[in-house]
Amino acid sequence: MTSNNGNALGVIFANTYDNLVPELVTERSMASIPFGGRYRMIDFVLSNMANAGVDNISIIVRRNYHSLMDHLGSGREWDLTRKRGGLNIVPPFADRGVKLYAGRVDALDSILSWLEAQKEQYVILSDAFTAMNFDFAKLVATHAASGADVTMVYNRGEIPEGARNDNYTIKIDNGRVVELLSNDYRPGVHNLSLNIYVIERESLIQLVRDAAVRGMIYFERDILARNLSLLNVQAYEFEGYVSRITDMKSYFDENMRLLEDGSMEQLFDSGNPIYTKIRDDNPTRYLDGSAVKNSVVADGCVIEGVVENCVLFRGCQVKPGSVVKNSVLMQDTVVESGCDVEYVVTDKNVHITQDKKLTGTDTFPVFVAKGHTV
Amino acid sequence: MAKEMIAMILAGGRGSRLYALTDKLAKPAVPFGGKYRIIDFPLSNCVNSDIDTVGILTQYQPLLLNEYIGNGQPWDLDRLYGGVHVLQPYEQASGSDWYKGTANAIYQNIGFIDRYDPKYVIILSGDQICKQDYADFLRFHKEKNAEFSVAVMEVPWSEAPRFGLMVTDENDRISEFQEKPKNPKSNLASMGIYIFNWDVLKKYLTEDEADPTSDNDFGKNVIPALLRDNRRMFAYRFDGYWKDVGTISSLWQANMEVLDPNNSGINLFDENWKIYSRNSGQPCQKIGSDATIVNSMITEGCKINGTVKHSILFPGVVVEKGATVDGAVVMGGTVIKAGATVTHCIVAENVTIEEGATVGKMPEGGMNIEEPGEVATVGSGVKIGKGATVTANAMIREDVKDGEVQ
Repeated sequence: MTSNNGNALGVIFANTYDNLVPELVTERSMASIPFGGRYRMIDFVLSNMANAGVDNISIIVRRNYHSLMDHLGSGREWDLTRKRGGLNIVPPFADRGVKLYAGRVDALDSILSWLEAQKEQYVILSDAFTAMNFDFAKLVATHAASGADVTMVYNRGEIPEGARNDNYTIKIDNGRVVELLSNDYRPGVHNLSLNIYVIERESLIQLVRDAAVRGMIYFERDILARNLSLLNVQAYEFEGYVSRITDMKSYFDENMRLLEDGSMEQLFDSGNPIYTKIRDDNPTRYLDGSAVKNSVVADGCVIEGVVENCVLFRGCQVKPGSVVKNSVLMQDTVVESGCDVEYVVTDKNVHITQDKKLTGTDTFPVFVAKGHTV
Repeated sequence: MAKEMIAMILAGGRGSRLYALTDKLAKPAVPFGGKYRIIDFPLSNCVNSDIDTVGILTQYQPLLLNEYIGNGQPWDLDRLYGGVHVLQPYEQASGSDWYKGTANAIYQNIGFIDRYDPKYVIILSGDQICKQDYADFLRFHKEKNAEFSVAVMEVPWSEAPRFGLMVTDENDRISEFQEKPKNPKSNLASMGIYIFNWDVLKKYLTEDEADPTSDNDFGKNVIPALLRDNRRMFAYRFDGYWKDVGTISSLWQANMEVLDPNNSGINLFDENWKIYSRNSGQPCQKIGSDATIVNSMITEGCKINGTVKHSILFPGVVVEKGATVDGAVVMGGTVIKAGATVTHCIVAENVTIEEGATVGKMPEGGMNIEEPGEVATVGSGVKIGKGATVTANAMIREDVKDGEVQ
């Protein structure tokens, strides 16, 4: 293979950490949670892979994957409508009752025959709960050069509140992972796993097969953590911009963080675009009476009111006399006239009728579920 | 399998009256309305009218247009049988030739049309901004049992001498065609949009080609020939928005009309008649803490921290703090630095306007969309130096140095 192809295939787990954001996944998966005005979480990892020449990608879905399927279509927007490789969506297999994956090993076990049939030397495993602009080509090259069995990606940070019971931290000695802890509780800054791994395809198949026969289900806990003395697991630090979605508050905070100077540039201006499903919206109209400050706004909006410190997704409307501050309005949210909306997250197609006052706090934003009318 | 109707878009025009804007690209590829190019309008009208086979005839600076059209996917025109095709002049066994005229362009592509064996062919223009349902036009053509139909607009009698006019009877049947007459007998102006029965068109194209004195032009030659032979020719009245954006002031005007859909009639916000375009792939627009935006349209990738009034900004435009943009059409990737003033003008793609520069000037008595007056124009990729001045009627094709007045 030429270097056009990262010589790696991708496996993305779409439902990891669904449990952390129950409000947002009632009708979708972590991977299809809207983020940053016009994206879904999976757009980041998918675009990063596509930009690195990784064009053979399996997406493992577990439940509530209709919205994700709708979003991905044939994968065209990510240039993944390929005759060779492309996008491969793997729902649970119905075999005398639908079998749901319990953990990563279980899920990988179900695609073993596909993994065996591929030609790429490496496999990249990734979740879809982070938004970042990440260079997978560099990761694979570093992994190949190091001779490691596995390379895992982490960044430095405190354990997010919402991830108290769902995190992996690592202790590193001279680049090698010497300890991998599940659900670390200690305060302070840690090496927090970003749940991205590179491994040779052949070794992954072997490890999964060995683990599966022993009834093990967790890749990190059952395979990596137990075998750190046998497996050379290298740590790879990502120092760039990372948004982790670990609960409703972090969802709100990470959208709000995009408003800070430099955030948009760090996440989007690396020369590697983030692709998403195209909606063919018009440009956004700022009509007389609008006053917009410090906001991230998608196309298709019509703004006639006051908008400050907000993230507006595609097709939102803010009618005259309304004031929306410190809020995240997902696509096609309509705020009728005379409303006062602050610290609110609205899901898709929410309708806030005239003269309503809706106020949360910065630590506890009000959430309005998909399609609801206030 | 035969297609009922296919579309041929005449997009060969250089658009010389757009000067600096069409130095490097064909007129149909000129950006319009914040995130579109002119060609998006006929293409979107086609798909919205269920026409799935489109030929685009072009011969001037085709690179960008070719790249933009690609496989036609953004307009849903990537089809197994049909779809959109860019048709350039090519060498044939009998020799090669540029497209000599509008009729000759179609004549040279008879082979393309015959592949689809259509009953009707609609001829469209690639340099108009118009939302039109061609299916309704075809229904009219069939009802009249016509061999040729032309879409016409009623224009004020005072302006009629500027147009090609169709004189009709009470059944809309055309009895006479007047090209820019001094004494108009009709105020029904041809929009340059025709439906032909393909067998009739093919016959007349072949005859026209055989005539060495012909200009090979629809208006000058083909339509008069049909009239001479007393063919069944009808005028289809269209009363929606239609604008030929062939000049700088009409292009500026049409953009400004987009900002005022209630009065102008060009509503790009119509969910039932979407205009499709190739997406820029840029993130959301970022409106900064120091931004003031009044009655404007802004799209993906823009970063606004200055003042923007009555303007249309295309993808990736940057307006720095302290800069003012008023009554301007600013195309993709242009950067307007701190303290610069950009007024009543069209600025093409990837222009840099340095700090404190002044581009264009608001006319005395303020902005008037009906009578635009002078509209300054800056060509693509140009740099306007610090403190430089671009005057109200300037046409800038090359860099303007710091402090210079052009």
